[in-house]
Amino acid sequence: MLFGEHLDMSSVETSVTPARRVLSDKPTARADKIFYGLSRLAAYSAIVLVGLILFFLAWQAWPTFQSQGIDFLLGSKWDTASETKTYQIFPMLWGSILISAIGAAIAIPMGLSLAYFTEFVAGRKLAAFVTSVVDLLAALPSVIIGLWGALVFTPIAVEWSKILNQYLGFIPIFENKSETFPGSPFIAGWIVAVMIVPIITSVSREVFSQIDRDLINGALGLGAGRAAIFTKVILPTARGGVVGGILLAIGRALGETVAIFYVLTMTFKVNWYQVLEGHGGSIASFIIGQFGEAEGPTISALMAAGVVLFAVSLVINFVAGSIVARAARKGKF
Amino acid sequence: MAAENKTRPKASAPWKRSSLKTKLAIAFASVAPSLIAFLAGNIFSLPGLISLVGILLPLQLIAAMFVGNYVSGRHGRQEAVLMVLVVFFSAIVVILLGSVLWSVISNGAKVLSIPFLIQNNNYITPTTELGYGGLGHALLGSLEMTMISSAVTVPLGILVGVYLTETRDKSRTIVRTFVQSLAGLPSVVAGLFIYSMFVVTGVLKPAGILGSLALIPLMLPTVARVVEESLKLVPQDLRSAAIGLGASKFKAFMQVTLPAARSGIITAVLLGIARILGETAPILLTTLMGSGTNLNVFQDAFATLPTYLFNNLANSTAVSFSRAWGTALVMMMFVGAAFVSIRIISRNRITAKKK
Repeated sequence: MLFGEHLDMSSVETSVTPARRVLSDKPTARADKIFYGLSRLAAYSAIVLVGLILFFLAWQAWPTFQSQGIDFLLGSKWDTASETKTYQIFPMLWGSILISAIGAAIAIPMGLSLAYFTEFVAGRKLAAFVTSVVDLLAALPSVIIGLWGALVFTPIAVEWSKILNQYLGFIPIFENKSETFPGSPFIAGWIVAVMIVPIITSVSREVFSQIDRDLINGALGLGAGRAAIFTKVILPTARGGVVGGILLAIGRALGETVAIFYVLTMTFKVNWYQVLEGHGGSIASFIIGQFGEAEGPTISALMAAGVVLFAVSLVINFVAGSIVARAARKGKF
Repeated sequence: MAAENKTRPKASAPWKRSSLKTKLAIAFASVAPSLIAFLAGNIFSLPGLISLVGILLPLQLIAAMFVGNYVSGRHGRQEAVLMVLVVFFSAIVVILLGSVLWSVISNGAKVLSIPFLIQNNNYITPTTELGYGGLGHALLGSLEMTMISSAVTVPLGILVGVYLTETRDKSRTIVRTFVQSLAGLPSVVAGLFIYSMFVVTGVLKPAGILGSLALIPLMLPTVARVVEESLKLVPQDLRSAAIGLGASKFKAFMQVTLPAARSGIITAVLLGIARILGETAPILLTTLMGSGTNLNVFQDAFATLPTYLFNNLANSTAVSFSRAWGTALVMMMFVGAAFVSIRIISRNRITAKKK
């Protein structure tokens, strides 16, 4: 009625039935077509980019895979000088895994603690401060962490290693027969931990913040304390997201290059588990270290190492992504 | 009866009540262990790690458990352990970051000077004193390289974000998966890829442009993901209203959705730039390190801040370490500037999540 008063209905002489409109989500205007076409092109170019990366790396790496066979992955000899060249990267592959494991072991309690602290313990202002500190840590370039690691952290960590070795040396992983402490996987693991703590923290915090508050209040009402809520409510509900975040962080740790390059002594003698021994390996750092003087078949071998690295991080990323997606789809993180 | 209803019960939040005795006990338990650890560490001159992990942590745990037990029984004990561990681990992270920031600022500030910022590295050896030579060439190189990469990646990333949110294509899931897998691309692999695509095939010799190209796959997922997130936050009603008023989808996007998501998109660009500004490995693989000023990205050696830092660290002399710290400070200032701008922008964004 309110609007009807202003309309003069008598001026409409004949009512023309408009042609039936076809409803569709296809763009009709030319601008729309171009707009959607461009965005589709951009989206497909991301797929093409991944394809190109795989193609060019595989193409370059093929001769090495062919000549070295499975020993490329499982052997421990790197010989570029003699007539028949040998390229086997197992010590570097194992080193990458070991360092990532150490980094994760250090970073997981820290990341979860920080997430719990900012989400459930700290007040608004303190939480905002800690959050921005962690975000800043995430934005620091790895080469700066490497500089700090080489010049500031290594001397400190060597002291820590000596103490660990002195008091806990009877445990096999803290053995150190060579008495050289710098350049160990332990130190590299700490550097990696510094770099992946922000990832674990931000993913876990995100997941924690989406937990249904009624669950927590319900547990409180049943008489549970903070500790019980953390272990019996928060962790089980947040498991999927947290595990996904940790895997993402491990994927990042495996690809870490320059930060590790300066704190790790790389050798082709496999360092299985003696984390305080001053030698280890890392595929990504090894590629950087060797590339300068590499030529011909050695370049191919380094490309092959890159393929292995990419394949491992692709698999980890896909698994992490699907775990997170499944947890999100279930509606419970 | 009526009077009783009007007055609120004295303890409307009984769980928040604590007596003076409880407060004193908590204060004592928080201070005493650190005092004991500090004194013990000084008297017996123990290494810091031992007094921290061997004395402070167990003492703190025991003290907190006693107080927790005193305040609320078994729950209190468990809660005490949880809180002590959480604060302990969180503090380690904050201390580590503080150490990184402090060492970069204190060491870098000594080096920073006008000549250091504007001179290049020609005729400079690792032992030349600090007054001569600097990172001017690397600064220009980094800016140029970042601009070239951004010029390609920003429109591309925004369009991918648009594709993922504004279209209803069936292949969105696939595209999202591929963008995610790019996010997991190790930076050294990006360098290897560009090297094998251009240098091995003989198209180009190592040059600045290859470094810029290698940074594209690293920057793209960051930009695309943040753009997608910020477009998702624009209420669907805004789009519907624009289309209902007769705008074409393109116009609705340009005049309604995009302005609404502007701050998020600027954040995406800044985050992407912060991501690639410090990338070292791909540039090391695809360019030759130069010491002179060279802005031609198609030939000759090219210098950037991260590779300048890397080389100075490799030179291993006191002077080159100082130069490395100075470079780190300059890079950190750029990252910090991007960071502060993001904070300022996202503080007054209309689409910000309410929390």
